[in-house]
Amino acid sequence: MKHYSQSLAVTIAIFALYGTAFSQTDHGMHQGMKGMDGKNTGLPTPPEQFPKWMSNKTSDHLFYKPAPYNWSIRNIPAFAADMYGTGVGHGIAYEAMVTGKADRMEDSIHRSIVGVLMNPPHLPIDEGAILPTFKRKYGSLEKVFDWAHLLHFQTIDVLSHKGWSDEQKDAEIEVLWQRYASQPYAITGLPMNMEVLDSFSYSTTFRTKYPKVNALFWGYHWLQTANYDMLYKTPTNTHIPQYEVMGDRYRNVELFNTDREFMPMTGEMSPRFSKRFPYIANSFDNLHMLHDNVGDILATDSLTEAQKKEQIDIAIWRVLGSTHLGEEPGKGEPGTLHDHRYPMGMPGMGWMKGSTDEDMYMSGMGWMNMSECGHCSIALPDGDQWGATVSADGWTMMVRCMLCARDMAGETIGRAVIRAATEDPNQTLVMISDEEGNWTSNIPGIMFLEVKGDHPECNDWSRVFTSKSAFDAFVKSDDYYKDAMPLTLAEWQTKGEGTPETYRRIDRPSPYKTKGDGGAKN
Amino acid sequence: MKTTILSMILVATATFGAIAPAYAHDADCPFCKTKLVQNTETQDNEVVVKFGNKKIEYRCVYCVFADQKKFSGDLIVYAPSETAGKPIILKRTAGKWSAPDGTVFLNTFKRHKDCAEQSRTFTSKVQLEKYAKANSISNAKSLTLDEMLKEVAKK
Repeated sequence: MKHYSQSLAVTIAIFALYGTAFSQTDHGMHQGMKGMDGKNTGLPTPPEQFPKWMSNKTSDHLFYKPAPYNWSIRNIPAFAADMYGTGVGHGIAYEAMVTGKADRMEDSIHRSIVGVLMNPPHLPIDEGAILPTFKRKYGSLEKVFDWAHLLHFQTIDVLSHKGWSDEQKDAEIEVLWQRYASQPYAITGLPMNMEVLDSFSYSTTFRTKYPKVNALFWGYHWLQTANYDMLYKTPTNTHIPQYEVMGDRYRNVELFNTDREFMPMTGEMSPRFSKRFPYIANSFDNLHMLHDNVGDILATDSLTEAQKKEQIDIAIWRVLGSTHLGEEPGKGEPGTLHDHRYPMGMPGMGWMKGSTDEDMYMSGMGWMNMSECGHCSIALPDGDQWGATVSADGWTMMVRCMLCARDMAGETIGRAVIRAATEDPNQTLVMISDEEGNWTSNIPGIMFLEVKGDHPECNDWSRVFTSKSAFDAFVKSDDYYKDAMPLTLAEWQTKGEGTPETYRRIDRPSPYKTKGDGGAKN
Repeated sequence: MKTTILSMILVATATFGAIAPAYAHDADCPFCKTKLVQNTETQDNEVVVKFGNKKIEYRCVYCVFADQKKFSGDLIVYAPSETAGKPIILKRTAGKWSAPDGTVFLNTFKRHKDCAEQSRTFTSKVQLEKYAKANSISNAKSLTLDEMLKEVAKK
């Protein structure tokens, strides 16, 4: 027994030494032990040297790449105004926290931000006008924010631009990314471990102290991440009607959702765009996590001004591209700053709390596997027949076929948007439903094939065609469908097959919290 | 070709299914945000609201009545009865609710973790009492549709 105790003591000592050595070399990460809440009790330590530009006092102001598509966001006026409004919220909150007004956060500051978001400006606002004190203190942070926000907006401009093909837009977005990543202020496009980045001693402080203002921040992060699938490879003449649904949801629900357990992720809200441009999706998520880190640091009263400055510098450094040079997506030591794993089927999203190799949990959506159909749980197809996306009730999910899209939307309260592949790779179908599930289409005369079979083949027997002649050509080419009758939109939308036999659900609790039983009757 | 693809998928499912089951988003009740309870072979639990082309699942009849303001038009509600596969059909037409003659409601739950079991619809008072006895529900009171609606409105 004594011998066993000695061995145990030696083992503990070895692990303790290893732990100390690890915390000293993994800069920007934890120092100390984990507390009962899973958070680390110590503060992250700085790297041996910060990049030189972080102490450079010059303005280093960068601006839009000159291009014909600039300001095309204004083709969708309500969306442009809402996006301009999002540039104000953090600025007001940050300035309040560095000027001793944080005690007003949940009342007058909240009202002030809501006032701007509900009556958004019609031109972009220079953040420097909103947070002069903050900018003097944290100028390097503002450079990182400005540069990333510019990528946000110019990517939207490309996607909103009229007259370019999808191929031209894809190529230009690649150019924008290269331009962005070439600057020292660029945030890495690698997926990062979100649990790690949200587990410091100060983490969650802002959302705990100021849940209403945090809901606004995460609400407009929802808008900033959900818009890409609205715009990506969809006809520009569908953007205004699509935004009518999205904007309504944003202003009436998402901004005031205090139940969200984690910030919205780009891969969650715009899965198609994120699959195509994973590095951009990752950089946006890493940017939003930096916003959360900064809010948490500023809201932590136990930190001195010097500690806040140092912790914000460390938070910047953690997500810079230069900090992760030479590292690769899908690789890295699990549970560290250099953990670049991503969920199965979604390279445009970092590793989430509670994830396993197969499944992960998304707030408000539950457990899922992003390589599978959200309705029938069969693996998603690739290529031109990529299936469809369904946006409803604040989420966007990828599905395999038109039946899965219709039935998934049909089981959800409120208006919905379906974006779907047709037989023509250059024509994306965009359908919008009213509250009762009556659909309108951007392509007149569409025809549906629905010859119910097994779901592993649903993307074959449930399809949409841009015309009767395209339908006829398809059924003629496949003897299996020789007796198939085309369904008009009016006929198709009244059908419903219920839950597929292949659908599987997982009854595992949220890794973020246990919500209990949903409360009392009232 | 289709058979080949299907065979490959079935083989893959058989091979990996046990260790890597497919998961999708799982639904909560739109009102109480508690997990929906699926039907079993002997008892229906899903309460389905038909609204236009939509079919929305709720956890219990109380949740439907409490959440009805979300829907502007006419509603048809398929509420589980004492017999599996034979739901009681409730209707809201031009804002007015109706139910088949004899329909009674049980509504004794205090917390929503119990609502699927204790907020239910039956074809008769006798059936309600039989269910309450079988499920050890004390103080089970039989409510008419109007009484049920008043009960919900009080909360």
